[in-house]
Amino acid sequence: LFAGRGGRGTGGEGREDRGTGTASGGAEGSFAAMDPPNPNPNPNPTDAQPQAAAGARLAALSLRGGRDLPPDFHTAEIHEHRTDDDDDDDDDEGYLTAASRGGSSTCAWKEAPEGLRDDDKDGDDVSPPSPSSSGYAGERGSSLDDDPEPEPDPEPAQDWPRDKKHLDEDDASSSWRKRKKHFFILSNSGKPIYSRYGDEHKLAGFSATLQAIISFVENSGDHIKFVRAGKHQIVFLVKGPIYLVCISCTEESYEGLRGQLELMYGQLLLILTKSVNRCFEKNPKFDMAPLLGGTDAVFLSLIHAFSWNPATFLHAYTCLPLAQSTRQAASAVLQDVADSGVLFALLMCDHKVISLVGAQKATLHPDDILLLANFILSSESFRTSESFSPICLPRYNPMAFLYAYVHFFDEHTYLTLLTTRSDAFYDLKDPRARIQNVLMKSNVLIEVQRSLRESALHVEDLPTDPSSQSASQPPQSSRDMSSQSLSFEMIGGPAGLWHFIYKSIYLDQYVSSEFPSCISNQKQQKRLYKAYQKLYASMHDKATGPQKTQFRRGEDYVLFCWITQDFELYAAFNPLADKTQAIKMCNRVCQWVRDLENEIFVYGESALSCTIIVGEVYEGLGFVTFSQKRYSFSFPP
Amino acid sequence: MGLSTAAAGDGAQLCVFDLRRGQQEGQELDKILFFHPADCPILLQLSVIGLCEGIVTFTRIFSPVEDCEVIESEKHSHIFYQAEPDIWMVLVVEKTKDNELTWRCGALQGILKEAHSLFAMFHGPIRTLLDRQPSAELARGHLRTFLTDYLSDFHAGKKLQFPTYRDCLKERGTVQMLTVSREVALEVQSLTTVLGSCLGNTTCQSLVLFEDLLVSTTLPPDDTLNLYTYAVLRLTPRALSSNASSWSYLRKGTSVNAGPTSSSSNGTTAGERPLLREKLSKGKDGFVAADFATTEVRGAVPLTPILWFQQAEERMYLCIYQHKSLTILLLIPASSLINGEEGIAHVKKQMLENASQKIVTVEQKLTRGWGGENAYHVAGYRYLLVDPDRRISRASPPGKVTTLAKDSLLALNRLRQEVDLEKSRYKRSDPCHDNDFEVCIRTKSNAWVIAKITRGRELYMALEKGGETLLYASTAVEKFSNRYCEGAFSTD
Repeated sequence: LFAGRGGRGTGGEGREDRGTGTASGGAEGSFAAMDPPNPNPNPNPTDAQPQAAAGARLAALSLRGGRDLPPDFHTAEIHEHRTDDDDDDDDDEGYLTAASRGGSSTCAWKEAPEGLRDDDKDGDDVSPPSPSSSGYAGERGSSLDDDPEPEPDPEPAQDWPRDKKHLDEDDASSSWRKRKKHFFILSNSGKPIYSRYGDEHKLAGFSATLQAIISFVENSGDHIKFVRAGKHQIVFLVKGPIYLVCISCTEESYEGLRGQLELMYGQLLLILTKSVNRCFEKNPKFDMAPLLGGTDAVFLSLIHAFSWNPATFLHAYTCLPLAQSTRQAASAVLQDVADSGVLFALLMCDHKVISLVGAQKATLHPDDILLLANFILSSESFRTSESFSPICLPRYNPMAFLYAYVHFFDEHTYLTLLTTRSDAFYDLKDPRARIQNVLMKSNVLIEVQRSLRESALHVEDLPTDPSSQSASQPPQSSRDMSSQSLSFEMIGGPAGLWHFIYKSIYLDQYVSSEFPSCISNQKQQKRLYKAYQKLYASMHDKATGPQKTQFRRGEDYVLFCWITQDFELYAAFNPLADKTQAIKMCNRVCQWVRDLENEIFVYGESALSCTIIVGEVYEGLGFVTFSQKRYSFSFPP
Repeated sequence: MGLSTAAAGDGAQLCVFDLRRGQQEGQELDKILFFHPADCPILLQLSVIGLCEGIVTFTRIFSPVEDCEVIESEKHSHIFYQAEPDIWMVLVVEKTKDNELTWRCGALQGILKEAHSLFAMFHGPIRTLLDRQPSAELARGHLRTFLTDYLSDFHAGKKLQFPTYRDCLKERGTVQMLTVSREVALEVQSLTTVLGSCLGNTTCQSLVLFEDLLVSTTLPPDDTLNLYTYAVLRLTPRALSSNASSWSYLRKGTSVNAGPTSSSSNGTTAGERPLLREKLSKGKDGFVAADFATTEVRGAVPLTPILWFQQAEERMYLCIYQHKSLTILLLIPASSLINGEEGIAHVKKQMLENASQKIVTVEQKLTRGWGGENAYHVAGYRYLLVDPDRRISRASPPGKVTTLAKDSLLALNRLRQEVDLEKSRYKRSDPCHDNDFEVCIRTKSNAWVIAKITRGRELYMALEKGGETLLYASTAVEKFSNRYCEGAFSTD
């Protein structure tokens, strides 16, 4: 059947090692001298390169002087991910290594022993292969249109195989076949672009087979969606000349896996923009893999997020809980900057938004925030200095690059200023300093640190009676009421409530509670997220949804979902939970979230708004609920 | 050339192929044992089978043990069933944009399973036929006639029409039982005993049906299911009458009278074409048999079909006797009848002598207690109860199910699909342990669709007037369970 099978060994040809391209730019710092494949928003694309090169040199200076990270910072970062349970359905160990690989950039020059491993024969191997200074940056990016098939590197560096991405594996190895979740990106001519496991070079034949399957169906005027065999599911996504495939035995829903492929594609666009398609128009056998050189960590981090970050299926972002006044102070200073030609200004703490301001009517899609944060957080070099990098927001404009000025104030908190101007780096240094100044003076950064430590929502703190005083207590109360929460800790919250996610539909934001002790390990947490994902897919079925409520009792949980025009609530209970009590708890969670909403949500991107709750009775589960009506006031009033 | 054109003519394709055949390049055609529609161009047939084989091979890289089940594309579904080792049946169905043709993979796979089970009951396993005659003419011949006759039931106009979401409250591959009172049960028991002793020393097996419902069986569940399915397809009074207006739990809605199926029906007997409708009729003696008036060639083929019962591991002659709404399927072990047709005639005579009176009595009592086609309707509920272990189901009458809104049916169909996946997940993780599972969904149009699995038994339900709250819906399920399921699905 598949003529291409086996015979299409061409897939991997011309593949360059991803690390090598980073040698010059990366070692100097993270001012990426990137030239976009299609610098649409750039008024002077031809000028970009020299400017960027100059910028790179300067940025290199600022890198060394401008940061004071704790020396063990990167180790800590890696350990954080290492807690992952390898036994789980979806093995994430690839990510660990990727994080460490991404991190090697900084480690390489900070801690020499890290970079000087046995197989680091070439001096330039110690260069940081970070996305912002990646293989396609500058020197290669500009050649994209002219020279679609770059020359293979004469001396491929040997540094990658040391990573635990199982580069020794290919489709013939049984260990590779047994991986629980594969992701592949390939071109419509069958050339491998990305594989989560194994070396793409060695997977050329396999890639050609995938291409043959997809093309066979495409040629008949149809589009293949998925194949299922027992617990294995093969999900396909065709995006023009780019094919994405997920092969999984994690028993996630088709819709869930397809959504993950969409995000993978979005991440690819964020790095390259959709204009990469033109390369395929010019040369169907174009080898795209080198363009993504050094970005493995970004994709692996995204794949990791599929099992821990509900934003990946909720299409909403989450905020760092902060007192209203603190957030207002942050928003005000961002707003100032936004007026000076910045398209978006984002202050974030890891994956959580502290404040977000958009110019005029521009709005940022939650998926773009997710992909942007993933890109920044998975690339160590962003942390080491103020950086300026072309990025594309696929939901905002998939065709064009924006330029992201990124600066980390501390280990977790970073500012991102997005502009359309490729030469705005110096213009943004001052506003950044101004913002930093204000944030320091108004104690925002200290508050952020405090919030990180303290202000998560704990189901144990769910007010026992909606009318009681505790309803309006801030979430920090969990630590003060330690004696009370101890009694709950064994069983979670009241009435067997274990966890919840509340998504505000108006705001595109969600808030989720911390995991109780009964769901303390990562394996249990992943399982719960997968259950939520299924629930989400079931409620949002294309043909029949969105449904209004769902109650689901399985071996592991009782799950509730409740969707109104204002919000979506997902709640997990002990499997023996009583239905009536559980319903009451759902109602109480909604009330609790609303009591806290000024602290847990960000209102308005360019304007502050306040929510007025209007009492209204819903049918639904028999809850009495409230609908939110938002009234906007410009800020400062 | 490809899938869309492939299925354009008929709306659906059914193929059977053997992966052990045609391994050499250029001999791919040898793989194909059956292809519907038969007039489909060879290249197109090869293309469909090529894709299927390619996917089967590909999925085995990752899933060496579990078979490929489905290829879902935007315009088609390919449903796979590995009927016997390396012998695959694939059903290709075309989708339409208006989601009128939304089906459930499990329901379509059920058709393939049913077709194969029936085929094996009449002709034995396909592999045995292939081994007997390696050129495969025998297997191809049997498959062609049998599957063509089988598919005739799905013909709606020129197209084949398979169960859609509208059939989500039916379960193929199960038996529908008639509930009888204790007194009648004793009568039936006594009838069964008499039927069993028709041959003297050797015990005969029997199935008793009233209308399309099973009253009693002495066969194991799988064999009962196959024979019951055949009876409902072709032998019950409703199936025999050409009048399609009569009802059936199993077939209503999809049952359409088969037209003349093929010109090659000459020279065949019931043993060869058991599903050929027009050949079967009830004789004056009350026995249902193939009409052989036009048959010229009989040769060694026996008049009475011999069936192979896998679970009972025995070959048996089938005699069908009908009295009004009562259908009796008497099975005579082939090994105990030395003189073939003569022996059967003797058994028939014995049966009439011994059991006639009892048959009349049982029929009368069943008719008296019979509530008609809406006997199992429960006001306010649209339900399906399945006991997969015993291969039994009971459902709201089809006429009542049609009153449900399209949205509710689509939502229930989707829920059943989810439950199917969940069930197979449970089965994989712990085959011995029954996992209880419950889902209640309030749809956007305010209906409740419910699935509940308790100790292996399944209940599916759509409540359009189930009240507004979850507790109200739960109470409705509880009431139903207590009143009609002996509390099988009750919480306490």
